[in-house]
Amino acid sequence: MKTWQRSLLVLFGLLAVFGATAYAQVPSAPTVEFPYTGNRLAVWIVAQLHILFAAFILGAPIFVVISEWLGYRKQDPRYDRLAKEVIKVTVILYSMTALTGGLFIFVLLATYPQFTTWLINHFFLVFAVIYPLLFIGETIVLYLYFYTWDSWKGDKKARHIALGVLLNLIGTITLFVIDGPTSFMNTPAKAEGASIVEFIQAATLWDKIFNYSWMPLNLHRLVGNVTFGGFITGLIAAYMYMGAKTDSERSYYDWMGFVGNLIGVGALLFLPFMGYLLSYELCDYDASICPYMMADQLSMFFEMQGAMVGLIFLASNYYIWLSMKRIEGVERVRISVLTVLVMIALPFVMTYTWTVFPVPDPKSLAVLVPLVLAPAVLGKIVPPLGRLTVSSRVCIKVAFLMVVIGNAIWMTPHGFVATGAKLVEELELPGDWSFLALMPAKNSAAFTLVFVTVVNYILYNRAIKQGTIVWGKIDFVSQFVLIFLAFSAIWTMGLMGAVRSLVRKYFHTYNLYPDFTAESFTPTLSYSAWWITGITLVFYIVVSFAIILTLRVSESKAHVPEGSPVPAGAK
Amino acid sequence: MNEQPSFLKSVVKKLIAGAIVGGVLFGAAIALGFPPVFRYMFVAYAMLGTAVFILLDAPSLPALSGVKALAVLLAFYLVLSGVYIGGASLWPQYDPEDEKGKIAKLLEAKRRASEQGKAEELLVRAKALSEKADSIMQRLQTLGGPTEAAAPGAGGAKAGGAAPASGDLVALGKDQWELQECYNCHKLYGQGGKKRGPEMDNIGNLMKAEEMKEKILDPRSWMAEGFEKEYEKKKMPDKYKELMEDKDVDALVAFLATLKNPAVNTPKPIKKK
Repeated sequence: MKTWQRSLLVLFGLLAVFGATAYAQVPSAPTVEFPYTGNRLAVWIVAQLHILFAAFILGAPIFVVISEWLGYRKQDPRYDRLAKEVIKVTVILYSMTALTGGLFIFVLLATYPQFTTWLINHFFLVFAVIYPLLFIGETIVLYLYFYTWDSWKGDKKARHIALGVLLNLIGTITLFVIDGPTSFMNTPAKAEGASIVEFIQAATLWDKIFNYSWMPLNLHRLVGNVTFGGFITGLIAAYMYMGAKTDSERSYYDWMGFVGNLIGVGALLFLPFMGYLLSYELCDYDASICPYMMADQLSMFFEMQGAMVGLIFLASNYYIWLSMKRIEGVERVRISVLTVLVMIALPFVMTYTWTVFPVPDPKSLAVLVPLVLAPAVLGKIVPPLGRLTVSSRVCIKVAFLMVVIGNAIWMTPHGFVATGAKLVEELELPGDWSFLALMPAKNSAAFTLVFVTVVNYILYNRAIKQGTIVWGKIDFVSQFVLIFLAFSAIWTMGLMGAVRSLVRKYFHTYNLYPDFTAESFTPTLSYSAWWITGITLVFYIVVSFAIILTLRVSESKAHVPEGSPVPAGAK
Repeated sequence: MNEQPSFLKSVVKKLIAGAIVGGVLFGAAIALGFPPVFRYMFVAYAMLGTAVFILLDAPSLPALSGVKALAVLLAFYLVLSGVYIGGASLWPQYDPEDEKGKIAKLLEAKRRASEQGKAEELLVRAKALSEKADSIMQRLQTLGGPTEAAAPGAGGAKAGGAAPASGDLVALGKDQWELQECYNCHKLYGQGGKKRGPEMDNIGNLMKAEEMKEKILDPRSWMAEGFEKEYEKKKMPDKYKELMEDKDVDALVAFLATLKNPAVNTPKPIKKK
């Protein structure tokens, strides 16, 4: 795609924003009925696609600029190449973000004209001035960043990196700004004792933006976007590895896949806690949202989320397992037996501690911090204990066992029913075991998944220090693991996006603007899964096309060869 | 070449180990009183663990390229899509029909108040009047004179104008209990609750009607004994003054006032404002 074509698409996106803002001022716009899908589903599809593209173009530049900086600092051309290849894909997907964004606004205006007008009027300055200006700024800086890549080298590299930082700054502000209306729809600003309708009428723009779920949503999306970008980088690497013709290419894309997975998993570790923070704020805003999410209409969505998170953690740890298999000398790597014992004890001790001292009671830290630090500290205080070790292979296998156990705890429901109203004894957890369905147990499960994954990456780090990585020789199945991770991350994002929208129940803006249409009910998980899968596949097709177009077609250019195998010290 | 037979051996070993673990978990679940569905869940986890451990020691996949790689990739996507849709469909499904009627009732007043609702109501009334006129005309034509023209007016006044009897009010209040999903936080008749809010079976003996109304419309005005921790103070949503019409609150209060079961330890409400 040529520059003028990309610019045209971006211009279209901008025109859509301005047009929509103007159109929203026209009173009593008529409603259209989308054929086949219905209005809600039409909005769902377009909005979700837009968010997926937007997530990538906002998340990828964060690690692109870090990668570019690492390449500059370490004088390792692989980092610079990774950054450039990812930004190439980003530029293409940027156009798709603009296109789907414009489409989203048009579809919204056509299907829910009264509500869209109402929302635009509440955030007029955001939609008419701030967001378009940021969008223009981001477009200019992104293209400048991309097109100056080859010319701003050597002495000018620092300037180029600074441009990348500026791009991220604008991108993050854009995300925070658009999260204002988005989070407002979930948790419109309110004041204790005052009528919400009256409060909103008198509220300033800042009051509306700085609502209960705004900052948690910002953080959740920021971390989620990096996770997503990392896994898509893994996907790019997997595609390129599968199509590589030379050992040098395989070596490079093997490395790129590893880095993509590392970014994805690194950010993923924070994601459960960011998600917890968001749901905590939602529940704090209105306690009735909590049972709706966790015990009633959406409870099975969270079961599916648990399954997806478990699969993602299993897959990312499996990738590490496969990565370690191609390190020569890995058999010499050992780890303290205390680490393994803590891994095993963690979910049980944590569940008990958090039950006795519920979050945010700081007393729980008095038990949990020493427990987590025990392997590092005890080994030094009592040297014989430190000398008791197990092989990395045993440790990782125990870690897998704990991922399965942790996930089993995460997914144990209070009852196998979609709503509490239909709960009967034959489908309910026995009373003595009901703690397994409560938050302390769920938090412990999430922490266990994170802890064992961190231990596995520490082991990997030790392995590459003691051994030699044979890049390009990884088990071919690892490429499917990378593809699986990207697919599952996108699917999970779609699922949780649906949940975030559905918690508004029968309101467009919770408790403030009702949805009077016949579609304002909670859909089934099965129905949602069909559409989430469909959206994921459409997104995948576009991304795959973008990767092939930008990287496969232009790969004939010579690259700096990477040696294989690489001595560990050189990494 | 020797990799295959040794891998098969290892698969068999792991399957046996998985079956033993699954059996132990199943037996333990029976002994501990878990219902059958949970027993099967534990066995499913044992199977998942077995699959994971088989995968860990699986032989390397040979490199694929060209059309073969593309075909495998497409098949992989199809399998993933199928597994995710199938997996999601296996969980118990919420029936949207359960809430459609509820939502219609909850939004009825707001719909009536909205511009769109007013227009729709006018249309419905016009249609009903037109149908009524047609039916009267038909009757006049058949009977040759006016018959029951005044009757619907009387019926209408009864349906729409008169205040509901106290029994009706209590029934309407119970309806509001269900519609506003109070049962999600408050236990009543031994059902619902999950300890988020106090049990309500004896609330009629502890609060006057006007006090209950005050609590519903301003949840911080009264707090139940034992529910006074800072994080518990915000548990009852401060939204009912917006969501409920005055008559709905009165009906709910009328229902709550009938709850006078001293055998249940409903905590004492304390005035806070």
